[in-house]
Amino acid sequence: MPRIGKIKIRVPRSIHKGEVIAIKTLITHPMETGFRKDKKTKKKIPAFYISDVSMYYGDTLISRADWTIAVSTNPFMTFYVKADKTAPLKIVWKDIRGGVYEKTIQIKPQ
Amino acid sequence: MKDNEFSNSRRDFLKRTGLASLGLLSCSALSAAIPSGNGRLGGLLGALGPDEAQAAPEIIDIKDKLRTTFGSRKVEMSHVDMKTPIIAENGAVVPIKISSDLPMNSGDYVKRIYIFADKNHNPFIASMDLTPANGKAALALRIKMRQTSQVRAILETSNGKLYGSTKTVKVTIGGCGG
Repeated sequence: MPRIGKIKIRVPRSIHKGEVIAIKTLITHPMETGFRKDKKTKKKIPAFYISDVSMYYGDTLISRADWTIAVSTNPFMTFYVKADKTAPLKIVWKDIRGGVYEKTIQIKPQ
Repeated sequence: MKDNEFSNSRRDFLKRTGLASLGLLSCSALSAAIPSGNGRLGGLLGALGPDEAQAAPEIIDIKDKLRTTFGSRKVEMSHVDMKTPIIAENGAVVPIKISSDLPMNSGDYVKRIYIFADKNHNPFIASMDLTPANGKAALALRIKMRQTSQVRAILETSNGKLYGSTKTVKVTIGGCGG
C-alpha cells in the first residue's frame, strides 16, 4: 500500500502582488468507497476517505471543501487564491478515521 | 488457511471451497446449475442473494437531492463554464474543471460550488466554500462516476442566487467498485 498523506503542492514560480494564482494540490489517499470487494477474501473494503479540506492563508480560513467517496483516489484539486500578502498558505486534509494531513507553503508576491 | 478463519465463518469456507471446485463460474451460473432443493450447497447459494442485496448502497435520486439542498430556488444556467471529457474511459478518474465569471467582491461573491453526478448512488460529490480571498470562483477536481450520466456544477452566490451548468459524460468503466 502506498504511503497515505503524501502531499504535493504546486504554485506559480513568480507571483505578482494582487494576482489570482492557481494552487495545485495532490495527496495520496485510497479514498475507498466502501463498495469495493477484496478479490482474495471476497470481503468488503470499508469506506475510508477524506471528508474535509481547509485552506488557510495567513490566519484566515479562506476556503473549505466537503468531499464524499466520489472524489477520485489520490485526490488532485486546483483552486485559486488572490495573492495580496506575503503569508503562509496552509492546507489541511481530514479523513473519516481521524487522520489529519497538512502542508504549509509560503506565498511571496513581488 | 488459518484455523480461526475456518471456525468463525462456515459460510465463507463453503463459499471458497464451492468456488474453488467449480472454477470461474459466477454465482448466478452456480445457482442455475444446482437444483434449488439440492441440500446444503443449494441453500447456501440461495442465501447469497439477499446478502448482497443488503450490502447494496442506498440510492438517492438527483431530484430529491437537489430539492433538499436548494429548496425550490431556480438554477440559472449561465455564468458557469464546466469542462469535462466527452468520454471518460475510466469512471474512477474523471477530471472536472469549473470556472465562472461571477464577481468575487466582498459584498457579492460565490459562496459555494457544488458538484453532482446524476447516477451515482449518492449524487452529491463535493462542495467547496469560497470567500472573496479566493479571487476567482473556479475549481478543478477529479471525480468518480458509476455510469454515463450528467454532471452538474451549481454555484451559490452570497445573495442566494444559483447558477449552474450541466454536461453529459460517457463512462465506459464505472468507478465506484462492486
